[in-house]
Amino acid sequence: MPPLVHHSRAPRSLAVVSALGAIALILTGCSASPPAAENTAPVSGGTLTYASGDAEPTCLDPHVGGNYPQALVGTQFLESLVSRDSAGTIIPWLASSWTQSADGLAWDFTLRDTVTFTDGTPFDAAAVQANLAHVQDPKTGSSTGYLAVRKVVSTTVVSPTVVRLTLSEPDSALLESLSQPWLAMESPKALARSQDENCAAPVGTGPFEVASWVKQDAITLVRNDAYSSPPADAAHSGPAYLDSIVWRFIPDSASRYAALQSGAVDAIDNAQPDTIVQAEKSGSIRHLDAPRPGASNRIELNSSRAPFNDPLVREAFIRASDVDSAVSSLFQGTATRSFSALSSIEPLGVSRPDLFGYDPTAAGTLLDSAGWTGRDSAGYRTKDGVRLSVVFPVSTNQSIPAEQSLFEQVQATAKTVGFDVVLSPLDLSAWYTALGSNAYDAVSAPYTKVGPDVLRTLFDSAGIVPAPSGYFANHAQVNDPEVDAWLTEASQTADATRRAALYAQAQNRVLEGFYVLPLYDQQNHYLLSSVVSGTRAMPTVSTPTFYDAWLNR
Amino acid sequence: MSDLEIQAGLAGAAARRRSGRRIAGRIGVTEVLAAVFALFLLVATLAPGLVAPGDPLAIDPRSAFQAPSWAHWFGTDESGRDVYTRVSHGTLSSLQIGVAATLIGLGFGAVLGTVAGMLGSVVDFTVNRLLEVMFAFPGLLLALLFIMVFGPGPATATLAVGLATAPGYARIIRAQLVSVRSSAFVEAATVLGRSRARILLRHILPNTLAPLLVLGTLGIGQAIIWAAALSYLGLGAKPPAAEWGAMLSAGRTYLSTAVWMSFFPGLFVVLTAISATVLGRAVERRLRHA
Repeated sequence: MPPLVHHSRAPRSLAVVSALGAIALILTGCSASPPAAENTAPVSGGTLTYASGDAEPTCLDPHVGGNYPQALVGTQFLESLVSRDSAGTIIPWLASSWTQSADGLAWDFTLRDTVTFTDGTPFDAAAVQANLAHVQDPKTGSSTGYLAVRKVVSTTVVSPTVVRLTLSEPDSALLESLSQPWLAMESPKALARSQDENCAAPVGTGPFEVASWVKQDAITLVRNDAYSSPPADAAHSGPAYLDSIVWRFIPDSASRYAALQSGAVDAIDNAQPDTIVQAEKSGSIRHLDAPRPGASNRIELNSSRAPFNDPLVREAFIRASDVDSAVSSLFQGTATRSFSALSSIEPLGVSRPDLFGYDPTAAGTLLDSAGWTGRDSAGYRTKDGVRLSVVFPVSTNQSIPAEQSLFEQVQATAKTVGFDVVLSPLDLSAWYTALGSNAYDAVSAPYTKVGPDVLRTLFDSAGIVPAPSGYFANHAQVNDPEVDAWLTEASQTADATRRAALYAQAQNRVLEGFYVLPLYDQQNHYLLSSVVSGTRAMPTVSTPTFYDAWLNR
Repeated sequence: MSDLEIQAGLAGAAARRRSGRRIAGRIGVTEVLAAVFALFLLVATLAPGLVAPGDPLAIDPRSAFQAPSWAHWFGTDESGRDVYTRVSHGTLSSLQIGVAATLIGLGFGAVLGTVAGMLGSVVDFTVNRLLEVMFAFPGLLLALLFIMVFGPGPATATLAVGLATAPGYARIIRAQLVSVRSSAFVEAATVLGRSRARILLRHILPNTLAPLLVLGTLGIGQAIIWAAALSYLGLGAKPPAAEWGAMLSAGRTYLSTAVWMSFFPGLFVVLTAISATVLGRAVERRLRHA
């Protein structure tokens, strides 16, 4: 396939590379020449076309709801108070510095004073206040942002460039939370519009602004020529190089990859394992692997209802699922098996390979002792005439085909032990409905958050109560007062060692309780055409930023 | 006309009839192949274990993505399931949807077409406008609308595809009816004073039904593809069920690296459509010569 598609372009670029290579050889006497593109200086201009495999957002304002598709596109036109560098240290962005009071209950952020939103509104302390109020307003329907700033009780304008956040209790994760796109700063003037208007074109301080959004087709972003506020770790300053970005949605992974190969688009996300392997061999496509922070991808077992309210049945299901074979066959080396509730890039993650071994015999014994001893005509186990079935809604928007195949393999291996796993592929809204009505036994929901505080979102019993958007994050419905207490203390303590110990305790309890079956890091693979240079993933939530990107067509 | 001439004429007619029988009776290679394939499908439908003894859902991750070989005639899919076994075991559900949907489409189409073609004037006008409205929607959209109202599942998918194909059949049947109705033998029957019902039953319907058979067999392939499209959207057969359409769409992801995953289910859809058409044509030819 690739040679056919690249027929017209490959020979030309090859000629350019070899010509430049020859020149370099003559001039320097060097034996090897780096790719031509890396040697040239960035050029301004051009339109980059991006094709996302994630669902098209229903609202571009990441305050509303707050999911990854919103973060992906929002990264191009919205900015946060702080960012994170690749070492995990929080660095200045729209806030140039910050101080914390001795009791940890008051945070003063000093803001950059020359920044304006793309509608001309100045970025100041009042704007920060308006943004936090917007996220916390139940009418906004925020979940991700709302949960992240739950401890913020009030904001005060100390001066136009200093804003104070007052907390109900100390928050060791405050800066990590504020670095996320779901708490990005938007123009207060724009926020005052109706929600529909703001959803269609949120106004930020970013390097691009939303020019138009034709639903089911594309979002067009154009350069913000007055841009002046890159994060501290950006590669250049001043406006972006690209004139515009066309943000498209191609849900079908094969079509998305074909579009990249043909040159119809310049960058894609959610790349399939087989295409990554193929792309890495091709030479004309670059691979950007950026695992998301926060939770690992895992299957959560709903402990609030039968059959998974019985820990023995949860353990049996986990022992009956052959995840290792599935990961190696389906992901072809592009993903590593996880034994942790947290992403491998989170330093405080606890990995427990000892708990998740595949052992169908042990699974059978566990089910016997849990009373699931009967067998029906189809070979599934029963107890008091009820079949041992596991309702598993699968979001076709959030699980790539390889992951859906993995669930099919889990279904097949669990069947040999006597589980009837009922997979139902659903679109995003039907999937949310299934979760909201507690009509599931197992589910795999990605959850991205900067830092280990994601554990509190996922496993604190408060997470069983839906956020204003109707979404709740504790899908395993872990309801353990001790876990709650540890996570609360961890989120308050200023002592890093104590914090790590508490998070480890909570993770061990959750893993040993068999509430989750970890699979692998949240896969986040971008494929970029070789004409695109200067793209990196933000060290916050691993969304790509095209601020430093330029085209060498 | 002399006796001799009559005898010559009769002999000629007899010779023509004999050669006609020979043509009708001769069985072509394509027909044999089509019949063999149809027989395979029949066995696969009634007793899939005879043609493929394995389990269509059995996984074997270590032998995933294997190209066709002696061990796996059609290769294996992403979970190491044998594609040949899955294609064979998928015959029943795939054909069920295709055949049932086509019968529904033909049934509705026949009623509408006959009413329009026979009653004429106002009825014809009304039915034609109705068909035009239905044509304005792409068939699949019509099916989707139906599923939205009545909920997803293989049964509604079948009915939806059947209804979506009905307008096409209705129009062809009406056209056929109108042309048959204005033919010489119907005129003759009318002149002889036969009743309308008798003309319809004795002369018009038999002459309309023959092309209908071919139409129906052609439609099975299309109906299977549409049902596959609905399965792809999660509105028909659910993965990992062995259904040709669902397999075809599952294989699309790996089209550039494991083409066999979608090639063989696709091939079976095509071969089913071709053999149904070939057999339909053969039967039609025999009916005409009988």
